[in-house]
Amino acid sequence: MLVEVENLGKTFGEFHAVDNVSFGIERGEIVGLLGANGAGKTTTIHMILGLITPTSGRISIFGKSMATHRGEILEHVNFTSPYATFPFRLTVLENLKVFARIYNLKRPRERIDEQLERFGITKLRDKPISGLSSGEGTRVGLCKAFMNDPKLLLLDEPTAYLDPEIAWQVKNTLLDAQREKGTTILYTSHNMDEVERMCKRIIFLHHGKVIAAGSPIEITQAILEEEREEPALEEVFMRVVKGKAA
Amino acid sequence: MKLHRVNAVIARHLYESRRNFDRVVDTLWWPVLDIVMWGFFSIYLTHGKGLQPGFVSMMLGAAILWTMFYSFQRDMAVAFIDDLWCRNLINLFSTPLMLSEYMAGIIVVCILKVIVGMTAASAIAWAAWSFDVLPWLPKFIPYIANLLIFSLAVGVAITGMVFRYSTKVQALAWGFAGLLMPVSCIFYPVSSLPKWLQDVAWMMPMAHSFEGMRQILAGNGFSPLHFWWGAGLNAVYFTMALMFFGWIFEKARNRGLLVKQE
Repeated sequence: MLVEVENLGKTFGEFHAVDNVSFGIERGEIVGLLGANGAGKTTTIHMILGLITPTSGRISIFGKSMATHRGEILEHVNFTSPYATFPFRLTVLENLKVFARIYNLKRPRERIDEQLERFGITKLRDKPISGLSSGEGTRVGLCKAFMNDPKLLLLDEPTAYLDPEIAWQVKNTLLDAQREKGTTILYTSHNMDEVERMCKRIIFLHHGKVIAAGSPIEITQAILEEEREEPALEEVFMRVVKGKAA
Repeated sequence: MKLHRVNAVIARHLYESRRNFDRVVDTLWWPVLDIVMWGFFSIYLTHGKGLQPGFVSMMLGAAILWTMFYSFQRDMAVAFIDDLWCRNLINLFSTPLMLSEYMAGIIVVCILKVIVGMTAASAIAWAAWSFDVLPWLPKFIPYIANLLIFSLAVGVAITGMVFRYSTKVQALAWGFAGLLMPVSCIFYPVSSLPKWLQDVAWMMPMAHSFEGMRQILAGNGFSPLHFWWGAGLNAVYFTMALMFFGWIFEKARNRGLLVKQE
């Protein structure tokens, strides 16, 4: 197992944001973390990154405990979210140079140019972040996420703000990374078609608890409680949100 | 601590200093303006008022050093606030970057900014009022070191407060030094304060630094007593600030405040 999460819990005062969550992710898997707003997806990702200290439970990545080997683990992990932005006045290049230094990359400029090309934003290199559209900003975040060639990628709604064509390109890039380099990806999204296409396995969270885990078709059958031939995650999502499951 | 990660933080804030006009104003505008204002005011006070020789030097020296203290502690907190404003903390702390590396980078940038600001202010003082800080500098250095350590302690404590209470208390970055100003005795001796306030002033490393510097400018030589009092108090305040910051950072991580957007 590349990632092992055991009995993870987080409470803020009386509120249980994440409640006794356990799952594992194999090397090279793309796993979807689904749930409505407030289900605990982002909190779980933030705990995996060490940004939030868990109230209970344990996280181990690459066979090492996150609590004691945070720095070492994060050398090979990366993350992006449309809600984490960059310093507005710095150019795209300057922002990426900062992260290239953090990861101590050997040929930073080459690496940055590769990523800019990969996500089709080479022409934005010398533009300040404040001059970018939301979609362009999201793609800068993705460039940052691939900067250190991560073994584990945590993506919190990576295609939010992207138009369908760019979102499609981004999904292909992620699938290529998984195929070519065996990158392991934990993925959250509200776009169910995207999740069905990207993820072999899904963990469904509701009110901080795992209510189902498995392939899209297994999740569909488990939550809708009927035989289906095709996954129907949109329907599953609506069922969960309306409280007919769990 | 990894040097390349400290360098990354230095690069991030130097880019900001180059691109953000607010930071240029902080670094150059206020130190220069302060010295011009205090220069004219001191000259006015000395005209026919029978004030002691060296009065202008004392005022200008004090103005330069106060600006240094103020700028350093403000820039430390503002550098952190900049990352908070642009929601960059999640990006930074989801990398292997350690808190100590982040703080070390910010401290280096603040030292560079203070050097730029002080050089500009000293050049104005020399050009306009023939106050040459260089001959005094070697004797001032122990007091300057004490001032810098205290400003570091204050900067660390304020940054900790902003970590905990977010931008709600960001005004402290600009305003907290003002609270210390009356008891720091920058432009007047400690003896001019009421007795009860003198006791408070002697608990301030800054009051010892400025008192010591006034003694040098008055030709009474270096005062080891003021230096060691300042150094001892700094050891206490700096240790307290570091402990406070470490505690508040863990608390912030526990409460999920690092990922809060503002």
